[in-house]
Amino acid sequence: MSFSTIMSAAIEGLHVEPVHVETDISSGLPVFHMVGYLSSEVKEASERVRTAIHNSGIRIPAKKIIINLAPATVRKRGASFDLPIALSLLSALGELEAERLKGTIVVGELSLDGRIREVKGVLPIVMEAKGMGCCRCILPKGNAAEGALAEDVQVIGVESLGQAVSYLRGEEDVPAEGSGGQESYDRLYADRIDFSDIQGQESVKRAVEVAVSGGHNLLLIGPPGSGKSMIAQRIPTILPPPTHGESLEITKIYSVLGLVDREHPLMSGRPFRSVHHTVTKSALAGGGLIPSPGEISLAHGGVLFLDELAEFKKPVLEVLRQPLEERKIHINRAHGNYVFPSNFILAAAMNPCPCGNYPDFSKCSCTPWQIKQYLARISQPFLDRIDICVEAPQIRYEEIRNSGAKETSAVIRKRVVAARKIQQGRYEGQKLWCNAMLGVRQIDEYCRLGGEEERLMKQAFSTLNLTARTYHKILKVARTIADLDGGGEIRLSHLKEAIGYRTVDKKYWGR
Amino acid sequence: MMYEYWLASVYGVSAAKKRLLRERFMTAEKLYNIEEKALHALGILREKEIRALLDARKKEFRKEYERMAEQGISFIPYFAAEYPRRLKDIPSPPYALYVKGRLPKEKGRCVAVVGARRCTPYGEEMALQYGKALSRAGVQVISGMARGIDGAGQRGALNGGGRTYGVLGCGVDICYPRENFGLYMDTMKEGGLISEQVPGTKPLPGYFPARNRIISALSDAVLVIEARERSGSLITADMALEQGKDVYALPGPVTSPLSTGCHRLIQQGAGILISPEDLLDEMNIHGKGDLQIINKNEKMLETTENLVYSCLGFIPKGVDCLVKETGLSAREVLEKLITLELQGVAKEISKNYYIRIL
Repeated sequence: MSFSTIMSAAIEGLHVEPVHVETDISSGLPVFHMVGYLSSEVKEASERVRTAIHNSGIRIPAKKIIINLAPATVRKRGASFDLPIALSLLSALGELEAERLKGTIVVGELSLDGRIREVKGVLPIVMEAKGMGCCRCILPKGNAAEGALAEDVQVIGVESLGQAVSYLRGEEDVPAEGSGGQESYDRLYADRIDFSDIQGQESVKRAVEVAVSGGHNLLLIGPPGSGKSMIAQRIPTILPPPTHGESLEITKIYSVLGLVDREHPLMSGRPFRSVHHTVTKSALAGGGLIPSPGEISLAHGGVLFLDELAEFKKPVLEVLRQPLEERKIHINRAHGNYVFPSNFILAAAMNPCPCGNYPDFSKCSCTPWQIKQYLARISQPFLDRIDICVEAPQIRYEEIRNSGAKETSAVIRKRVVAARKIQQGRYEGQKLWCNAMLGVRQIDEYCRLGGEEERLMKQAFSTLNLTARTYHKILKVARTIADLDGGGEIRLSHLKEAIGYRTVDKKYWGR
Repeated sequence: MMYEYWLASVYGVSAAKKRLLRERFMTAEKLYNIEEKALHALGILREKEIRALLDARKKEFRKEYERMAEQGISFIPYFAAEYPRRLKDIPSPPYALYVKGRLPKEKGRCVAVVGARRCTPYGEEMALQYGKALSRAGVQVISGMARGIDGAGQRGALNGGGRTYGVLGCGVDICYPRENFGLYMDTMKEGGLISEQVPGTKPLPGYFPARNRIISALSDAVLVIEARERSGSLITADMALEQGKDVYALPGPVTSPLSTGCHRLIQQGAGILISPEDLLDEMNIHGKGDLQIINKNEKMLETTENLVYSCLGFIPKGVDCLVKETGLSAREVLEKLITLELQGVAKEISKNYYIRIL
């Protein structure tokens, strides 16, 4: 008798799948039937939709109503199909002109009284709208600011089903949402956290600066209470500000999980994710029946912090190996493969021994064997992915009291940005953007050493029992230190500092 | 000899009683063949000990003996000519020794270097230096092949190019602790591994104090490098005194719990270790070679390196601590430390913690 179709979308991982919501009303036994590979929360939509329509003052005739969500091969989950189902039904009933719904994507959850609730994953959908041939999105009011981050798409935020209907009938004008203001990077952290908060720890601060400049992963070793997590937390404040594109990419991930702030939807800072050691494999890497992003993807573009590294279960840490290498994670399920970005700097912290006081022999009560075992919990391949290792010493009383002038994050960041710029210039046109990503062949090309430097490395190799892998890591870090110094040749002082940051080799740990 | 081995491997009869039996019967073979009644009639053994002897007869000791020979382990019972004279002088000499490698030369001087397993870098360095100086002077260094001081003393002796002997608390075919495997092999080559336990015996805590009496008995003097109060090293020192040997102890910081045992020994009259030369003088040994260990490198360093070096000691120091003491930046300190480390005068013992080495 009458038929209508309307566009909506389903999220699979970070991928957006267009969904057509079709309604057909014909005479026959009065039923309200929904089909199209629906999960139970979508099936429940029928009750919400009918009640909300009723409560908005529109009567649904006693006819055979069939609603189909196409394509039937895509599993539909979540409550975001309530609003498109309602609008499609109203259009089929002749309450709305089908013409007005053309080129419009609709998402939103309905409340029984007709109000529209926020849903997850709005930003990726709006960003894909153009590709689906749509130039307008009707979204819950609460998600409108988030949706407006995407360019070239008109975003209409509606508060209730009634408002949506009157807007589509042309009775009420709802202005398109403008993109919200962006917080400036300096203001973002200025009043909350800053590197100048940290007392002492000069050597650690320097190591962190080097790590951030070259995108190197970092391991902090130190007794409990030495401020390892405090330092790690401040790493994002010295990272170069993300570009608009990067911000959008980060925000997309948060959007899928519904973690976007309503007022300031754009993630203008870089994320810092601190993961507790009880984390499961799927919480860290991403997972679920239909995989959703895990902590490593939430840390994309920022810092992933693992406190008490030695307490993590081995299989959990091994999960990190692929993302650390490829900067994305593949999650394979029987019904498809999902890829999530995971380009982060890994900052890990651990105690030097089970009691935390080694090598202070008057306090440490661990046997050499215990100390060895403690480090043995972290696999060598994992340690191999960490370029810089530094010790965070116990803070003494004078340091807590002494609050002299210290460098602020902004000052450090300026140096980091300069070093990053040098790297970007050098690796232009290649799939690299920082020194940490250099492969063995590229190290040969970009980390050339002079005669004197060569001799030093030769001596270090034999005296310090370096392995080939540590040798390459030292060169990469030395490259970054030279970049912090203006980007010239790697000199002796750069190499020596880099040697000082070399990762502990298990064989020589403990005695 | 096979029956000698059988008697030595009987578990549950003391070494003294074994010796007595052996003297009575002249050979172990006779004892092996004697009837149970005759054993009772001897009046030496208790019921339990007789049972142990009879049970031991059923063991496949012939095969064990052959296997031992294949492994290159020499079996030296109390009555053998090679049995060390020094051991015969103590109240409870072991009934037999199992040796991989050699026994210390009877005529050569022997000094034991003993101390804590969990030691400080200071103790370890000192044990190395004393071991080296002694072996350079031609003294045989004896120790227990344990972690920490013992191992360092023996390693020092090997570095000095001399002989060193490890007395084990387990069978000589077992390397305990495992991380000393390199030392185990080197000691076997350059000296010998000695034990009173039958090969294959696992390292049980009870065997170690007994082992200590052999260490002190084989030595002319015992050096205690680092020891806590009431520690195994002090047992060795006590035994050495009982056996009439000289005991020397190395002083350390009074705040270090690892030196309190040594200080106690000095208080009770032990010799004090001031320097290896001093020790050799006192023992009337006049060796050759460079024995000087103090500040040998300072002249070769440039000023700032010297500044960093002078702040280093035997107590591990972190980079930040050095930054404060020298007034240099973290970068500079790290750079100088690496230079020192490459020159072999400093060592990183935990991440960014450095000590001075001599």
